[in-house]
Amino acid sequence: MDFESLSADLRSLQERALKEISAALDPASLEALQIGYLGKKGELTAVLRGIGALPAEDRPRVGAIANEVGEVVRGALAVRSSQLRAQVQALRLAAETVDVTLPGRPLARGALHPIPETIEAIAEVFGQFGFVIYEGPDVEEDLTNFQMLNIAPDHPARDLWATLYVDIPGHLLRTHTSPGQIRVMQSTVPPIRALLPGRCFRYEAVDASHGFEFFQVEGLMVDEGTSMADLKGLLDEFAHALFGPRKTRFRPGYYPFTEPSVAFDVECVVCGGVGCPACSRSGWMTILGAGMVHPVVLQYGGVDPERYQGFAFGMGVERIANLRHAVPDLRHYLENDLRFLEQFR
Amino acid sequence: MRVPLNWLREYVDVQQTPEQLAERLTLLGMEVKGIEQWGADWRSVVVGELLTVEKHPYADRLHLVTVSVGAGEPLRIVCGANNIALGQRVPVALPGAVLPGDRRIERSEKMGIASEGMLCSGNELHITSDAEGILILPPTTPLGARLSDIYGDFVLDVDVKPNRGDALCLIGLAREVAADGGAAIRWPEIVVDESDGPIGDRLRVEVQDPQLCTRFVGRWVEGVTIGPSPDWVQMRLQAAGLRPVNNVVDASNYVMLELGKPTHTFDGAAVHAGTIIVRRAFTGERLETLDHVVRELTPDTLVIADPKGPIAIAGVMGGAESEIAESTTQIAIESAIFDPVNIRRTGHRYALQSEASLRFEKGQEFRLARIGADRVAQLTLAWSGGSCARGAVDTAPGQPDPLRVAFRPARVSRLLGAEVTTADQRDLLGRVGIATQIAPPGTTVRVASEPMPLVVDPGPDEVVVATVPTWRRDLEIEADVAEEVARVGGYETTPAHLPDTRMPAYRPSPIRVRNTVRETLAGAGLTEVVTHALVAPGDEARLQWPLDDEATKESSGSMPIVVTNPLAGQHSVLRRNLIGSLLDVLAVNEHQGRHDVAVFEIGKGYARTGDLAREWTRLGILLTGSSRPPAWNRESVSYDLDDGKGIVELLCQRLNLPAPTYAPDPRGFPFHPGRALVAEAASELDALVGRVAELHPDTLEAWDLKSGRVIVAELAIRSLDGVTQRRVHVEPIGRFPVVERDLAVIVSEGRPAAEVDAVIRRYAGRLLVGHRLFDLYRGAPLAADEKSLAYRMAFGVDDRTLTEEEADAALAGIRAALEAELGARIRS
Repeated sequence: MDFESLSADLRSLQERALKEISAALDPASLEALQIGYLGKKGELTAVLRGIGALPAEDRPRVGAIANEVGEVVRGALAVRSSQLRAQVQALRLAAETVDVTLPGRPLARGALHPIPETIEAIAEVFGQFGFVIYEGPDVEEDLTNFQMLNIAPDHPARDLWATLYVDIPGHLLRTHTSPGQIRVMQSTVPPIRALLPGRCFRYEAVDASHGFEFFQVEGLMVDEGTSMADLKGLLDEFAHALFGPRKTRFRPGYYPFTEPSVAFDVECVVCGGVGCPACSRSGWMTILGAGMVHPVVLQYGGVDPERYQGFAFGMGVERIANLRHAVPDLRHYLENDLRFLEQFR
Repeated sequence: MRVPLNWLREYVDVQQTPEQLAERLTLLGMEVKGIEQWGADWRSVVVGELLTVEKHPYADRLHLVTVSVGAGEPLRIVCGANNIALGQRVPVALPGAVLPGDRRIERSEKMGIASEGMLCSGNELHITSDAEGILILPPTTPLGARLSDIYGDFVLDVDVKPNRGDALCLIGLAREVAADGGAAIRWPEIVVDESDGPIGDRLRVEVQDPQLCTRFVGRWVEGVTIGPSPDWVQMRLQAAGLRPVNNVVDASNYVMLELGKPTHTFDGAAVHAGTIIVRRAFTGERLETLDHVVRELTPDTLVIADPKGPIAIAGVMGGAESEIAESTTQIAIESAIFDPVNIRRTGHRYALQSEASLRFEKGQEFRLARIGADRVAQLTLAWSGGSCARGAVDTAPGQPDPLRVAFRPARVSRLLGAEVTTADQRDLLGRVGIATQIAPPGTTVRVASEPMPLVVDPGPDEVVVATVPTWRRDLEIEADVAEEVARVGGYETTPAHLPDTRMPAYRPSPIRVRNTVRETLAGAGLTEVVTHALVAPGDEARLQWPLDDEATKESSGSMPIVVTNPLAGQHSVLRRNLIGSLLDVLAVNEHQGRHDVAVFEIGKGYARTGDLAREWTRLGILLTGSSRPPAWNRESVSYDLDDGKGIVELLCQRLNLPAPTYAPDPRGFPFHPGRALVAEAASELDALVGRVAELHPDTLEAWDLKSGRVIVAELAIRSLDGVTQRRVHVEPIGRFPVVERDLAVIVSEGRPAAEVDAVIRRYAGRLLVGHRLFDLYRGAPLAADEKSLAYRMAFGVDDRTLTEEEADAALAGIRAALEAELGARIRS
């Protein structure tokens, strides 16, 4: 063996190795090549083993060539290996392609009922102005539902509240949330800002705009100097919060437990005030009744009417929900057809 | 109250359009609910003149007429009425006309002769009540004119509030119109031609109960001829919504609508001995009223009687025997003031509410008693002929003093939140007939009325005294005056601003926890429902929801609360559980073909113990059908008991309660005997207890449900009814890894998992930081009555990594306890 033939062998070995490496199609054959050339019993190793037979001055030169060949082959193996890995990965990913336009896997989500949701929306607005929530019983006493609200047993205004009575003497199903005014005043002292949501009952035949069970929210504010102007300002904010920038108006109303009494109208949410069937062509929709708490009621609540004055308002939750969600028929609320409710998801 | 505009115009000038008038009245508190175009359904009805009137050639009872309707060829019309004659002007419905009641008039063949329209009776047009003959119009009625142009009107539907009985009439509403525009009102000229002898010879009146009848005015008319009222009167009554009856009854009704004074007319011949006695009925007395119902009277009832017995229930309804009939020739007129409360009670007692009693129960203007009697006499003479006895019987001819209400203008301003000067307040009050003067020194102010009166000494404040007009009954206290000032001044002038007064103290919201639960359940796929609290009386028996044990303490020993005057039988009892209502919801949705139903309600239960009413708030849950939204990329799984428990566990996490414990409830109906439990969890602040169960198939059958498995739960959660401050206390996070061990515990089939779990907890020692069931296995190599519960246990300590040996030792302790206590075998 001489230097020349040995280095030529190394060169041809490199050439052959590179050719075979670039022809390898999978990691396994690549590994076989690595072992075949660079392994303990590999060809390059065999060549290096023959170095000992060379003259001493040739040995370093051949060694350098051999190392160089080794580096080149190792480098080619690494390059080819990463090429192959990329190819394999690309193939796998390509095989995993899905139709991304298909619908996803749905998560369960229930709907929240519009009545409690509307109560929550009302409470949110008044809550910002310091109104806190109280609750009263559904089974009320005639005393709190009527008499302490300045409605004597034979008051003609009793016709405004067709009443359902129960088999407990002196008790009835509350016809409105107004008895809560008495309960709040009796349980605390001014300044009072209270909101009272709840279920109410009336002896009333069911149709698109009436039900024998319905929900109201009562409001009460009492302090020195609380006035009609405060009421008007607050109700304007409320109407704007729920129905957007619409005109509002007060007009005289009648409740035995407020004096003066008013009705609060908002520009029709359907026609915007020009007049349509929804607003009986008046351009206005009544959303609640209100007024200054009657001095008799204040006194039953233990509040001195000479020192304090206040206002109360009461609104039908279904009415507000109807207007907000364009619900055409009040019967939907207690019927609980899921096709109706699921629209509130 | 229905207000025909043309009738109103008789008492006050109205310059505005009907819409403008409606808006003004509404802003004065006389809410106009609607404007009806009276006569709108007389389209294509025109005024015709009869040119020829002949017998129908083929039908004896019909006529064949030709009628000119102005322009065009005369029309040939077949007509069945007998009151027609040549030259009369009559209403003609042209072909294409649609009459009241949706009656369509077309060209038609009548007994072989073509008829080109129809001659109309007053009844067919709903303009008078005469159905017999054709409506004969005055000869001056313009030929060819549309009937709606002549008799059409706008009728306002005015919602008069109960405190304003004075406005339940045309004069009263005319006053409001006048107050708004500054116009004067025109009273009708009331003059009675008294050509007969003195009333004393005809009528005597004895009021035995002057408390219930404070004034009685009687008049007497002889020689009347009963018949229909003039057409214009009938038209007015019709437009105002009252059915014309005859000329005497119509006079009484006309005065009620005109002046707001209900009166009654008796057939004079039926008033025995010409003597009227106003008294309470005797026990056992009976009266056949105008509606031909014989009524048993009670001593609470005020009656108008003659010496032989009652002839009317005072203020509510007349008697049939003294009714004005065709044969009537002499009439007694009653115009009285009755006690409002007594009238109201009487109306309720006999379930009789009339236009008259509605006005009586709101109180009557005292002076109207005489005016009303005179006006009825005047109109009776005009419409029925006859002669009126001289004078009137009047049991209280005087005038009571007017009411005076003192008020502080500064207080009025304070209430309204608007500075209104004293002069302006007095001016506004003057516009509705309220005279004012500066109060003399020492005048007190009535701040509150009965039943909680409060009269104060105003001190140095300026005080004004208002004199209440005789017709107003709603002005008693200072605040009433404030309302009058605001109302007449117009609320558009009231300023609006946000309150700048003190804020109330913080109060936690009682609905916050409910909202947390609602949002949690919605997130878990359940839809919220709100159902009726009133349920059918048979529902409790049909469902047999248990009421008698620890899970439902509120309802034990209680009775349901029952409505004594229910509207409908299926809603007459307050529910004691929510599940019946949820089953109704399921039924409604099944009916719509919907079988996947997952719903919840946070609602009240009600019961009474003796006369004590109690209410509580519960959470009700119902699950059936697919537990997950249907999807192309997932198998459908049906709800089962484990889902119900999972929801309870989720709620416990959300409410910061420990994991719930479960105890079997093997009672059977209404539950699946092997799939029902009581769940319980409690912390210092809150507690949850309730039932979770699959319903028994017989329960579903009883509710007519088709669904397969239905899971229900009713949970009492203390914080739903009140306030709980939910607060998380953070545990330190372990810094050292835990050592995990699996433990398969083989026990007999009958052994509840809860017992295995309890033993693990009891013997875990301090090293066990957590364990969970991860597998339940039955089958080979286990015996047939065995099951294997596999737990993954995690051991650890705070300050170092536990050694394998320490974990194994802890595990061995648990193994030994399971073997010893439960006879379990441990598979490793």
